[in-house]
Amino acid sequence: MDFTWDFSAVLQHWPVLLKGVGVTAGLWAVAFPSAMAIGLLIALGARSKSRLVGAATRGYMELFRNIPILIQLVWFFYAFPILTGWQLTPYVAALLALSLNASAYCSEIFRGGIASLPAGQWEGARALGMRRVQVLRRVVLPQVLKRMLPAFTNRGIELAKNTSIASVIAVHELMYQGRALSAAYYRPLEILTAVAVVYFVLIYPGAYAASRLEKRLALRSH
Amino acid sequence: MNYEWDFSGVWAHRDMLLAGFVGTMKIAAVAIALGVVFGVVLAALRLSGRAWLARPALWIIEFYRNTPPLVHFFWAFYALPVLIGVSLDPYAAAVIALSTQSGAFFAEVFRGGLVSIERGQWEAARAVGMRSHQALRRVVLPQALARMLPPFIERSFELIKTTALASTLAYSDLLYQAMQLNSITFRPLEVYTVVAAIFFLALFSLSLVARVAEHRLAISTRAAGH
Repeated sequence: MDFTWDFSAVLQHWPVLLKGVGVTAGLWAVAFPSAMAIGLLIALGARSKSRLVGAATRGYMELFRNIPILIQLVWFFYAFPILTGWQLTPYVAALLALSLNASAYCSEIFRGGIASLPAGQWEGARALGMRRVQVLRRVVLPQVLKRMLPAFTNRGIELAKNTSIASVIAVHELMYQGRALSAAYYRPLEILTAVAVVYFVLIYPGAYAASRLEKRLALRSH
Repeated sequence: MNYEWDFSGVWAHRDMLLAGFVGTMKIAAVAIALGVVFGVVLAALRLSGRAWLARPALWIIEFYRNTPPLVHFFWAFYALPVLIGVSLDPYAAAVIALSTQSGAFFAEVFRGGLVSIERGQWEAARAVGMRSHQALRRVVLPQALARMLPPFIERSFELIKTTALASTLAYSDLLYQAMQLNSITFRPLEVYTVVAAIFFLALFSLSLVARVAEHRLAISTRAAGH
């Protein structure tokens, strides 16, 4: 191997990468709470007695989970504006695709979590005179949130990894900045390796926390 | 909404999408096969009982699992050739990226399946006079494979969806062909909706098949006395 590593381009231009990290973090910080909120609504819809609502929510979940997220992103950026007349900026299109895609997975987590609680909990709370929304907020969610935490952490990790595809429609996040730098300074090996390491440093703590959490919850349930 | 859908351009060039579909299937099949090989090697290293083998394998697995797939694609295409001194075409780079990253996930599926079989199964097999490779092949593996199947299928679905990233390296998969078709027809709504529908129909029907297969398997393992 007569290749000599030269990280000077990375060291000189780290603020460019840092800016990318900021945009990546921003995408994640908006998309994740949105995905959880939409996911909860969809999960409640899936429990609805109305067959139409039930079928629509199941269709939503299957649709977003069986199409590659890159195709969803391309669709929202290039096809959606023609259908609706709203030209989305790359950033908004990326947020839309990331949030909706993750929401389908979040709804599955909520659905499973809520279903894991015995029906007696609902009936008991209803018997005390609570409305369904109150039962959900005061009785059901507090009990199942802890159980769903590892699954949501894993979803957060998947979402963090998925933010990188926003670079394809020129959102200036970490992957985009890394590619721009490597094209400008002809140092793809050093720069793309640095980008991979930065992603790892951002994402690994979450994965570590998720595995610790899973073990703790597993111990407690024994 | 007074937009008039017009699929005639897409229909006229359907051979382009067909070629893309074949390209997607080809890369998915090759990457799953190579990913299994890579996953078996990594799982074996993890279970070797020797720290100097298990540790590096663990770090390879953790690195691939905690970095975006798109980074692996660009790294394999732009960075790896600098390191090895051989330039790679988009197909080779995409196969390397896909099979290594899915190998890391497969390794954990394989390891988890083997570890989940109770120690008593090994001990009982040894007690009736089997050697350890016989115990593995005749007693442990048949049970472990049944447990590995559902997560293995799930990871394979993820892999098939991830093949769409190969389009960013200009490999002629379904999405890349759609982009070409779009530049001919200027009908992004029709083109990308059709491509999304193709993926949906293919993956959704595959998942129904997988569900039936898993169900059958669950019944047959229960019938075998579990």
